[in-house]
Amino acid sequence: MTDRRRINGPAGATIPPVYDDESRLDLKTATGRSRPPNAIRKMYLKTGVTPSASGSAYLEIETSGKPGVSGLKLSCSVHGPRSLPRSSPFSPHIVLSTHVKYAPFATKQRRGYLRDPSERDLGTHLEAALRGSIIADRWPKSGVDIIISIIEGDQDRETSRFQGDEVWDMMNALSGCITVASAALADAGIDCVDTVAGGVAALVQNTSDDSTTSIVVDPIPSEHEKILAACCIAYLPTRDEVTNLWFRGDLPASDMELYTRLVEQGIQASANANRVLVECLNGTVG
Amino acid sequence: MSRHQYIRNLDYRDAIDEFEGYAEEEDELSPEDRALMTAGTIDVQAALGVEVSKVTVAQIEEALWHYYFDVDKSVTYLTTKFINPPPKETKPAAKQPHGNPFQSRTSLAHVFRDMPWGNVPKHRETTFIPPPMARLGLLGGSGAAPKISKLQALAAARKKKAEEKGATQDKMESARTKMNELSVGDTPAAREVPLAGAFSKRLKTSESTAQGRVPLVLSEPTRSEPSQSSSALVREPEIMPSVDKAPQSMFAQTLFGSHADVFHRVPQESYSLYADLPPSVLDAFTKPSPDDVVLAAQAKAGKKTPAAQPKKKGTPSADAVAGEVGELKISDAPLPKSRNFDVLSEFEKSKSKKTASFVVVGHVDAGKSTMMGRLLLELKVIDQRTVDKLRREAETIGKTSFALAWVLDQRSEERARGVTIDIATNRFETEHTAFTILDAPGHRDFIPNMIAGASQADFAILVVDSSTGAFESGLKGQTKEHSLLIRSMGVSRIIVAVNKLDAVAWSQERFDEIKDQVSGFLSVTGFQQKNIAFVPVSGLQGDNLVRRSTDPAASWYTGPTLVEELENSEPSVRALAKPLRMTISEVYRTMQSPVTIAGRIDAGSVQMGDAVLIQPSSEKAYVKSIQADDAPVDWAVAGQNIVLHLSHIDPIHVKVGDIICDPAKPIPRADTFTMKALAFDFLMPMQVDVHRGRLHAAGRIETITALLDKVSGAVVKKKPRIVKPATVARIVVKLDQLVPLEKGLRVVLRSGGQTVAAGLLE
Repeated sequence: MTDRRRINGPAGATIPPVYDDESRLDLKTATGRSRPPNAIRKMYLKTGVTPSASGSAYLEIETSGKPGVSGLKLSCSVHGPRSLPRSSPFSPHIVLSTHVKYAPFATKQRRGYLRDPSERDLGTHLEAALRGSIIADRWPKSGVDIIISIIEGDQDRETSRFQGDEVWDMMNALSGCITVASAALADAGIDCVDTVAGGVAALVQNTSDDSTTSIVVDPIPSEHEKILAACCIAYLPTRDEVTNLWFRGDLPASDMELYTRLVEQGIQASANANRVLVECLNGTVG
Repeated sequence: MSRHQYIRNLDYRDAIDEFEGYAEEEDELSPEDRALMTAGTIDVQAALGVEVSKVTVAQIEEALWHYYFDVDKSVTYLTTKFINPPPKETKPAAKQPHGNPFQSRTSLAHVFRDMPWGNVPKHRETTFIPPPMARLGLLGGSGAAPKISKLQALAAARKKKAEEKGATQDKMESARTKMNELSVGDTPAAREVPLAGAFSKRLKTSESTAQGRVPLVLSEPTRSEPSQSSSALVREPEIMPSVDKAPQSMFAQTLFGSHADVFHRVPQESYSLYADLPPSVLDAFTKPSPDDVVLAAQAKAGKKTPAAQPKKKGTPSADAVAGEVGELKISDAPLPKSRNFDVLSEFEKSKSKKTASFVVVGHVDAGKSTMMGRLLLELKVIDQRTVDKLRREAETIGKTSFALAWVLDQRSEERARGVTIDIATNRFETEHTAFTILDAPGHRDFIPNMIAGASQADFAILVVDSSTGAFESGLKGQTKEHSLLIRSMGVSRIIVAVNKLDAVAWSQERFDEIKDQVSGFLSVTGFQQKNIAFVPVSGLQGDNLVRRSTDPAASWYTGPTLVEELENSEPSVRALAKPLRMTISEVYRTMQSPVTIAGRIDAGSVQMGDAVLIQPSSEKAYVKSIQADDAPVDWAVAGQNIVLHLSHIDPIHVKVGDIICDPAKPIPRADTFTMKALAFDFLMPMQVDVHRGRLHAAGRIETITALLDKVSGAVVKKKPRIVKPATVARIVVKLDQLVPLEKGLRVVLRSGGQTVAAGLLE
């Protein structure tokens, strides 16, 4: 459903033709991974960006260095804890409500103003991830709203072909959402057992003719020929607990080892992101 | 071929050439020009000499015409153009094979003419050449390099010259450092760490081009990841490379500023705003402000939060301000503008036609509505077609004779029952007067409606059925009651239309008999003899209404027709100078106003923009616009039947029977009143209905104060127990609710479906 009160962009994106030019050839061929398979991208995290919110954070995952490829930019604000409206039933613990919304201009395909199912899906995953970290019974009869705007989606703007499933982008976005929401919750002073951060690991196929696969963390779809499977993990490092696990892809059911390795790599990625998170939070306290 | 295709294929150049050629033929050379042309041609041919064979006479003539017969110029032109043409410039070699494919659609037709379907030969295949594209530019827009304007070119040339003059190296250096300071994100701290991403690259390039120097060579940011990545992934947790915090991107810098940490906030020091003001000024602000004083006073007076108040000079007394604020009324719509006419003088100046309204009364089935329908038809207010249509409709339910009555009886119930139920109004104009017809119901069940009609009338037409038996029953019935009522409502002039005389063969004896009986009865009722007129008519045929009867049997009547009699009637004197009184006879919604009322002005005048008071609700309203006779007017006076569009009032405050009056002199409301009543029946303390025009209210006779003499009005007997018919008494009536009443009003008392008394308020 389109919102007719606003000026909407065209419904479908038109992609300009990309010509096979020698001067640009180097850009196109640099599709290989630009960092080690077990290294996540650098991220910039900052808390306390929205003065009107109880807590807020801004996360930026840098681009791959390739011009025209955007990184991930997220802004999160936490409102609460505040009393629940009168109409809602009694709740002995805090009621989390999470909203994840792509900005209309965040991705190559223009987004609507209303949340679509994929955005609602992200919100549900995020809620599951955060619920495990918050000490919910410290705040009975109250609610907290966590609102995340994805200012820039993690997409290659210049690719003309459709890079597989959009779900891989969603996984990267979700891991960022978890990290930034955790930082914002800490900024709001809501009691948590630990800081939770997100991490993504993926099983990728590097060349089209080759059937060899490898596991990488923090995958960028444009850097790999094909992503076979991926998992996004929310992990509490000090308690060594996983609060949310989202697995997707085509894997043989017999190969249990592959699953375990993917999850492990996801946990590693999450622990790495957590280090940035803790560093940032320590900076605010000091 | 469609028309569009034709237009698209039209060759404009050809069309224009043809047109010009045509124009030249028209443009004949004058004889002088012709002579000059001949002489010039010979001269040019002589000047050219041997070369003359290379040019035609036409070319020479054209050159001469072009150069105004200047021989030398023409010779030079012809020499360069035709005799020794300069070598043709070589065509640019890199011409695109098929031109611009976007230029025209039709020009491609010949390209594909012999093109086979499939298996296109290699030499016929095209090569698409990409349009030049700005590197890293935004999508869309023009990809071409920007065109340099003349001014820009000049500026560039000057700059180059200045540079050549030798700007020293240190000057350049200082300029560069300044530029660095100006640039948004390039803080010294940030410069050490190479910025990653497109933004940083773009920033650097723009900076370097701004300086006009060779861009700094920027290597692609190299990541400082330790190379201890282990390719073999094993179960036990491995040591992952530590992740450093990334620097801010341009976006984040713009959002949060370049300072890395804003959490060390500078503690806010308090300082006084107006430290160096003189103490007198400072003193002025130590006390509460005048506004605060007023607010405090209002709060004390128990008022609500004050609305915006006008600022007054000096310090107004708090009570006065509070009172004013209380009177403030906030309305969203602007008040209608009044033109402030002096309505009375306007009325005198206007010299419009006299207006008069009359009520048609009589016993049921006396033919009142039919007579009025015929009257309207004869006066061409309605056309024959409408009547024919009504007649057809009447035929379908077997009531052909009612067709004319249906002109006024428009409600389905009235048509089905064949009786008038509510008063119907219509208007017609004669040469001197504009009349309003109020067709009253004759049936005794609808007497209240008849009273409402009679209260709006200046005079009355009493319709009497002359057919045998009908007149006698009428005289006992409503003929009598109606005439009593209209007299008690203050109508003094009455025209008796003796109807249906065609049914008794225009018998003069019958007419005289009726005339005697009715006039005797009317004079008893209180009508003066000079105010009574008798006209023998036939409502169905239309005799003696507008035109005289053509029936030879009716030739004995030589008096005026009904319309002539109407015109002779002087309308009663209007109470123009009195305060406004208007009884509402209808309330409805229109597009112009949610509260639209119709009625007759009883006294006074009204104009657009006037404030009016509605009684008994005591609500104020404003007159948005006035309509009289379906035309908008600026003002209206007593006697006119008008429609008022009101504003600034809720419809719940306006009911039928309410009185609209002047807010300065409002009509008082009362639930108890004393009246001088003429009894038609026995009166004793009892339940009665009080009728006053459209208004009727239930009440009871409280006491009978005195019996009065009919002529002198002197008290005959105090506190009688009962009042006999045809006697006058002073009675006190108490009503169940507040009703707008005024001295001098005429009211009718009814009880049990009978009119029991009528009289004047005291």
